[in-house]
Amino acid sequence: MNEADRESLLVVVEALKVGENHFKDLLDWLEEISLRDGMVVAEILQRDQIARITSDPRLGRNDKLKRLKDELHRLRFPRLARIEEEINRRVRDMKLKPQLLLTVPAGLEGGAVTVQMKASSYEELKRLAAELARVVDEKDMQEIFALLRGEVSA
Amino acid sequence: MKSFAPEEIIVEAGSEQSPIFRNLKQAFPQIPFTFTDEPQALPVSRDPFGASKRRLFLMRHRGEFLKKCPGSDGQVCCNYFVINFASNCSMDCSYCYLQEYLADNPALKVFSNVDNLLTEADEMLGRHRKVFFRIGTGEITDSLALDPYIGFCAEVVPFFATQPNVLLELKTKSDCVESLLRLDPKERVVVAWSMNPQKVIDADERFTATFEERLAAARRCQAAGYKLGFHFDPMVEYDGWEADYRDMVERLFAAVDYRRIAWISMGVLRTTPGLKRAMRSRFPASRLPTGEQVLCPDGKMRYFQPLRVNMYRKMLGWIRAASPTVFVYLCMESKEVWEQVFGFAPSCEKELGKAMVPVA
Repeated sequence: MNEADRESLLVVVEALKVGENHFKDLLDWLEEISLRDGMVVAEILQRDQIARITSDPRLGRNDKLKRLKDELHRLRFPRLARIEEEINRRVRDMKLKPQLLLTVPAGLEGGAVTVQMKASSYEELKRLAAELARVVDEKDMQEIFALLRGEVSA
Repeated sequence: MKSFAPEEIIVEAGSEQSPIFRNLKQAFPQIPFTFTDEPQALPVSRDPFGASKRRLFLMRHRGEFLKKCPGSDGQVCCNYFVINFASNCSMDCSYCYLQEYLADNPALKVFSNVDNLLTEADEMLGRHRKVFFRIGTGEITDSLALDPYIGFCAEVVPFFATQPNVLLELKTKSDCVESLLRLDPKERVVVAWSMNPQKVIDADERFTATFEERLAAARRCQAAGYKLGFHFDPMVEYDGWEADYRDMVERLFAAVDYRRIAWISMGVLRTTPGLKRAMRSRFPASRLPTGEQVLCPDGKMRYFQPLRVNMYRKMLGWIRAASPTVFVYLCMESKEVWEQVFGFAPSCEKELGKAMVPVA
């Protein structure tokens, strides 16, 4: 990393008071994006979608750091991020009740869908089970598994 | 393939009587041999791991030679045993896990007490005649790259060739098969190559044989009566990988007789956070660390699952198109990935190991 890169990164790290573990993630991702895309770190940090986050006066320090990491993660893992987004979109489209939670593992490793139900009565549990039975047959659900199995790309 | 030339050979007292020592003296008459009990620490260097590869230390191996392959936590294992006759490698692949595993080792170690190795193997194979063993020597070194200089194969192949319950696998990225051609494997030795398209070899497999050299060596071994193995490992994903890997598979099956192939394995590039740091430091131009790899439960980083499952399925399709019956397995992968690629997963490591025995 050259002097200009180090300075650009230092500005962000100081402004957001980035801790050691977050710093390691940022450094790894920035260096790997830089190597992959043939651009220096300073250029990456000056990209619109990054600069908008770090300069947004409405965001607190923690929100800025979270959004910065999300954005860099998207840049570093574009295809993984697209598949995750496609899965999340399908989950949203199913319009599940809040007591019925459908999630996939971080990084999609394991290829399994986790379904969580939270019921405070027998009747509620029956309603949620019926709701789950309804969405199981939906095309969205089948597409989620196809995405997890690498059968379709996002 | 570039020939190996160490800068220094250090010999531990007591190793001068071994055939390996005699072979080294003959192979490197111009290189100074120093005799010691312990090699000096390496001088400070920008690349101590690279420097350690140019410094050969002939020493006795302490402890057991034969070990169960450690595999990887929670992954489907193939019930394999390993013999470490050397530690470290004369070649220098950018993705090699030894950069992390042997980071502090001051030299490329070769073990002189081959007689102890053979005694240990004889005892274990004799004690368990009803068990069929698959034993490999390519775990922490290349099985053949040093052979022209140390003559290890001539010492061990005749022994394993006469054992009824073992297959010895010699795994390599070299074309150093000359000494093997003078031996009779008696269907007990598999010579296996780690295969990658030439583009990957050029970029990330320094000092190894070219794809064509590996293929030519495989053909020579086939003609000499050896079974063959191929490891598409590590598979690397990049723009255009499909065309390169498909072409590689087609060229391979056009060159060798599929009936002589004992097994084929597939495994994608695996790293760890520590290995990636070593790679970026030692091979700053390598693009391998930029792949979309995520941390898996066993602590290794692999391409995210849908991506690598898709890679495996495509490779399997090309292999099956060339040879519908050849035995194919995955290396260091989870049951979930097995199921997504093959439609089944071995129930236990013995099942996978046994499935590989009928080829013996």
